[in-house]
Amino acid sequence: MKRIAIVEDEAAIRENYKEVLQQQGYSVQAYANRPTALQAFTTRLPDLAIIDIGLENEIDGGFALCQSLRAMSSSLPIIFLTARDSDFDTVCGLRLGADDYLSKDVSFPHLIARLAALFRRSELQNSASLMENLIEHGNLTIDVNRIQVYWKQQPIELTVTEFWMVHALAKHPGHVRSRQALMQDAKIYVDDSTITSHVKRIRKKFIAQDDSFDCIDTVYGMGYRWDNQG
Amino acid sequence: MLHLPIGLRTKVAILSLFLLCLPWLGYQYVWEMEKYLRHGQEKTLEGTTQALATALHERPKLFDKQASFLSQVEQGRDLYAYPLAGPIQLDGKLGDWSSYRHRALHYGEHHQLFSADETKPLKVDFTHMVGKYAGYLYGFFEVTDPNVVYRGTNSLRIDNNDHLAIATLAPDGKFRRYIVATIRDGWISAFELPENPKLRAPVTPEIKIQGKWLKTDKGYNVELRIPLEMVGSKLGFAVIDVNDRKSRQVEAIVGTSSTDDVENLGTVLVPSPEIESIIKGMSHNSSRIWVVDKHGRVLAKSGDIHTSTNVWAQTTKEQQDDSYWGRFKRDYLHPFYYRILTTPPKDFVDSLKDSTVLEGSHIRRALSGRLGSTWRLTPDGKAVVLAAASPIWIDDTVMGVVVAEETTHGIRTLRNKALEKLFNVILTVMSMGTLALFFFASSISSRIRKLRDEAEQAIDSQGRIKQAIVGSKVRDEIGDLSRSFASIVSRLGQYTHYLENMSSRLSHELRTPVAVVRSSLEHLALQELSPSHQKYVDRAQEGVSRLNMILNNMSEATRLEEALTHAEVDLFPLSKVVSGCMQGYQITYPKQRFQVDICQDPLSMHGVPEYIAQLMDKLIANAIEFNQAGSAIEVKLSAKGKMAILSIYNQGPALPDNMSEQIFESMVSVRHQQTQDKPHLGLGLYIARLIAEFHHGSISAKDRVIDGKHLGVEFTIRLPINLI
Repeated sequence: MKRIAIVEDEAAIRENYKEVLQQQGYSVQAYANRPTALQAFTTRLPDLAIIDIGLENEIDGGFALCQSLRAMSSSLPIIFLTARDSDFDTVCGLRLGADDYLSKDVSFPHLIARLAALFRRSELQNSASLMENLIEHGNLTIDVNRIQVYWKQQPIELTVTEFWMVHALAKHPGHVRSRQALMQDAKIYVDDSTITSHVKRIRKKFIAQDDSFDCIDTVYGMGYRWDNQG
Repeated sequence: MLHLPIGLRTKVAILSLFLLCLPWLGYQYVWEMEKYLRHGQEKTLEGTTQALATALHERPKLFDKQASFLSQVEQGRDLYAYPLAGPIQLDGKLGDWSSYRHRALHYGEHHQLFSADETKPLKVDFTHMVGKYAGYLYGFFEVTDPNVVYRGTNSLRIDNNDHLAIATLAPDGKFRRYIVATIRDGWISAFELPENPKLRAPVTPEIKIQGKWLKTDKGYNVELRIPLEMVGSKLGFAVIDVNDRKSRQVEAIVGTSSTDDVENLGTVLVPSPEIESIIKGMSHNSSRIWVVDKHGRVLAKSGDIHTSTNVWAQTTKEQQDDSYWGRFKRDYLHPFYYRILTTPPKDFVDSLKDSTVLEGSHIRRALSGRLGSTWRLTPDGKAVVLAAASPIWIDDTVMGVVVAEETTHGIRTLRNKALEKLFNVILTVMSMGTLALFFFASSISSRIRKLRDEAEQAIDSQGRIKQAIVGSKVRDEIGDLSRSFASIVSRLGQYTHYLENMSSRLSHELRTPVAVVRSSLEHLALQELSPSHQKYVDRAQEGVSRLNMILNNMSEATRLEEALTHAEVDLFPLSKVVSGCMQGYQITYPKQRFQVDICQDPLSMHGVPEYIAQLMDKLIANAIEFNQAGSAIEVKLSAKGKMAILSIYNQGPALPDNMSEQIFESMVSVRHQQTQDKPHLGLGLYIARLIAEFHHGSISAKDRVIDGKHLGVEFTIRLPINLI
């Protein structure tokens, strides 16, 4: 049974999530603040951690906890689940090594899907399964099973949301995907400008690998398109 | 009360005009000073005359007794020997006298002493004057006599022909008579008559009387000289006319005075050499000095009023100043000053230059025994002459008057110097004062203007703080004002910041409870519920999702504001973005008709294309919402100069009155309550405005009204474009 830790200071939310996850068959430990969570984690690491950023009297307690967890394990999947939805916080959280950043608007099915995806990836990384489900377009290779994207054979570290967005774009190269479609594909429900900033981040990650990357095309007012010609 | 738009600087400049009072005061002061100087000069001059009079008191010898005791002198009878400038050549030609001719007197009928036949007209008359030079008394007679009868060559008689009779009371007190008669032109022969006036003979030649007789067209000229020691204070001349060579009877006698009788003899005034020698000592004095007798006739004179500058002027002589300041003064300031000031002229007309008789209130006053002085203007008006007179006493009688004259040039020079200095000082003080005031006012007004500009720039038209005011460190009232402005703006800034963060904080704070409600509702939804319960859960979920949308809207604006602060700006084609958006809307809203007119130029501009698309989203959403069903939305993009103009028009209800600006404000919504099926926070147009302003553009909304009929609402966005 997978062990999930929830660090959340709001009792009602904590209990709600805990119950839902338990119903899904996970073993859930809930902590109200950073010190108790950290104490428990030093004893035993969970298989996945869901962390709120603001924890009781610590405004950025979640960030600190994320850092400590990352220090303990580099492979432990970490999700931020928070009310804070500014760009700055999202970027911050993802930079600190979180695997995903979800706003509290997220619905239960969505959350569960994310969890499942993360678990699948970590499992795949651990097992040497070669069952391939690959999409290849020129320099781009998408391994859906491993939730991994390669550009010119080099892996690119994308968050799950970003992965699904790239996946949605590259599945049908040359087709314009509207923001709404991307949202559905990435299974997130945010406003348009968040999609824009996600696309920007994806571009940056590719460009960091390859200066000449120019495959994600903006179709003004309509959406984005994967363009193999570059 | 007038409220003229006058700046501080101008006001100070006007106030500093009061500095102009300074030269006026100075001028008044110098005038006052000049008055005192004049008074001083008057007193000094009176002192001079008094000193000279003192030297002449009680010296009767100096004065001509005979004339001095006359109650009045008669011109023509009482002669005056003019001092001559040089010797006269005794040649009978009167050229030597030309410069004195105006003094000569004409003797005619009024001076006729005797006539043989009263009925016959007088045939003889003459012009005469006497002068004095180097111990001689010179005289000339220009006689008009149509018939000149000379003395017969063999005649012993000297008086039965044309002749000149001279009578004088010699200094030794004896009455002497002479006759000048010649037998031909040439050197004259003078003869002394016996003492007894009745007798005409015997005669003795008198060789001391020298001269020449010269016949002229009109008659004859006699030019002669007599040693002064032979001439007393009384003197008379008479011309005796004889016309008949046969009878040789005297027909007429014309003369200055009767030569027969000592009592009837006229006087002669010979300017006194003794007095002259006394006042000669005064010629070193700066003034012109006259000594006149009690009849005002000039006894002696020294000095020249033209060359004489006076005590006052001498002290003010300055050396040539060759410094820069000196040259500047000479070349620029003095020409300017002397437009106002007058330089005392060197050449003025002196009416008294060769006077023999002086008159005036000062002399009359002196003759009455008191000091007197008077000011007079020269006839050409160029100079003012000060004259002072003081009496000369001999035995309680005023025998004469010492007159001293000076021009006021010295004082005027002195006054001019004083005014020059005064003007220099005043110019310096005024220019420095005005400059200082001007700079002071400038600094004050520039500080106030700076403060005004800062205050204006601190808050934009929407009342948001654009930049803080930095309080001045100067510890004065303006500094205080600036500091209080700074604190007001900073307090206002804090408040505005609080307000601006209101929606983001609210959305953040509400998100957690909403999450609680939502997650709980989801739990409920997962459970098996009876349809009656399910209904309420669905309603609750609908409410929560609406609440969630509100929160998203709220954070959208906040997030956009945040994102705009560190947005990366690219160069992109505006028309491509707009046309792309329009294609998207035609897909998104298949039921809506769009009428699109986009200009062919790319209209490249700096900015973020996603934001422009977002702006379009908001405006189109707004237009669709208000659009009348069935009508088209018109979208037009054109370029005008450096601006791209995007207008979006929909047929719909008019904008509320006076709200065309406010609709772009945050949290302002003007929808009718009943039409509301979706939550509206009035953030759409606010976001549109944020984006337009981020791109240095503007957004406005106005009703389209044609012929007073409302047709719809048009939104216009102006964005700056790059002209390549």
